[in-house]
Amino acid sequence: MRPARVGRVGVIGHPVAKTAVVAKAVTPGPAPVAKTAVVAAAVTPGRRRRI
Amino acid sequence: MTDTMADRSLDELGPVDYVVVEFPAGATRFTGEMADELLALVDSGTVRVIDVLILRKNADGSVEATELADIDELGPLQAVEAQLAELLAADDVEHLAAAMDPGSTAGVLIWENLWAAPFASAARRSGGQLIADGRIPIQAIIASIEADEASTTEGD
Repeated sequence: MRPARVGRVGVIGHPVAKTAVVAKAVTPGPAPVAKTAVVAAAVTPGRRRRI
Repeated sequence: MTDTMADRSLDELGPVDYVVVEFPAGATRFTGEMADELLALVDSGTVRVIDVLILRKNADGSVEATELADIDELGPLQAVEAQLAELLAADDVEHLAAAMDPGSTAGVLIWENLWAAPFASAARRSGGQLIADGRIPIQAIIASIEADEASTTEGD
């Protein structure tokens, strides 16, 4: 690490916690193919919420 | 910090994000694919890389930080290294490494979202103020849709 980094004010501010590990976009499960389709449908243009 | 960052108006700065990508001990498979994808984002003007560090967390919890410049044969990443602003400070290293498991290696990437800068500037010029932002985990989207579908099924 370069000496210039020492003594400077940081930008992160606090220790970060590990997030849920995302090794794959769709986690393995009973029906990973179905989940892929579900997520694709969720972000498909034109989908509207039902409120 | 480089002049590239200082010379630009703060109003023109896009949102700055970071990721810490951990490679558990014995699980690294570097093929250059990550560098290629990063360079594609840089070359397309989607992002500007501000800082990169490689962290190694030892078994005793101590952390070693390596500069990109200290890596032999950077290849195409040499162009990225030349433009780094070295935003991270030494205490940031400790804060970021808090998420790492002992024995692991991690890449820390800080970048500016150039694609968002014009929209953010326009929002500010229009009187808008950013009051919240974040990321939605893909797992949350799955859970939401599945719950939605379950409620629909129940209503049939």
